[in-house]
Amino acid sequence: MKISIQINASPYQHQAADTAWHFIQAAIASGHEVYRVFFYHDGVYNALRDARPPSDERDIVKRWSALHDENGVDLVVCVSSAQRRGLLEASVAKKVDGYPHALADGFRIAGLGLLMEAIIDSDRHVTFGD
Amino acid sequence: MKTVFFIIDKPLHGNVRAQEFLDIALMAAAFDQKVVLLFEGEGVLGLMKNQQAESMGLKSVTPILNALPIYDINEIWVEKESMERWAVDEADLVIPVQKLSKVDVKKQINVADHVFSF
Repeated sequence: MKISIQINASPYQHQAADTAWHFIQAAIASGHEVYRVFFYHDGVYNALRDARPPSDERDIVKRWSALHDENGVDLVVCVSSAQRRGLLEASVAKKVDGYPHALADGFRIAGLGLLMEAIIDSDRHVTFGD
Repeated sequence: MKTVFFIIDKPLHGNVRAQEFLDIALMAAAFDQKVVLLFEGEGVLGLMKNQQAESMGLKSVTPILNALPIYDINEIWVEKESMERWAVDEADLVIPVQKLSKVDVKKQINVADHVFSF
């Protein structure tokens, strides 16, 4: 089954990012295709490069980057949600004198069109976080 | 074409959530999908006239609601029981809606391809 994921909540304060990650691991292990993870609302905070949790805790951001590297999952951060919350793509940051290195490895910033494409192309679209 | 069903069960103003949520509905319509909006619970209060979001420094969602027909979003439903619970009359609402009973809402959710909750 082709599955796309949406994450609406910030990491650490909500369980959404953890639950989603475990769901994705289980889905891939069961032979399903996880096509894309779309980060929306406060979910965009999952893509902050400079998140530095204590070394004995899980690193949610790094875990997403690894999911992209190891399984080729497309990690897409919504551009309007991200800009509203201070997370800018390098090219935009340069234009507005913003911080250009905010986005962690493996993530890309794009519009809602990519969410729609995922919804249309997937057998299931599963949302985590309210 | 898929049917994408949006359930709005919380007030529309107070944060940016409604704007971002409705953006998905508008985008779905722009992608020629069938969009259904259902207001239930406290969500029905967001449809009432005279919302003063500006007084909280927020943008009003009402103009987006008024623009829904332009996006060919014409399936705007309100759960009948929620209207009764909050004593909301159709005449109090900013846009025309169809009233649906809880039972019918459930049937419609069952046949939708994707369901988004607010």
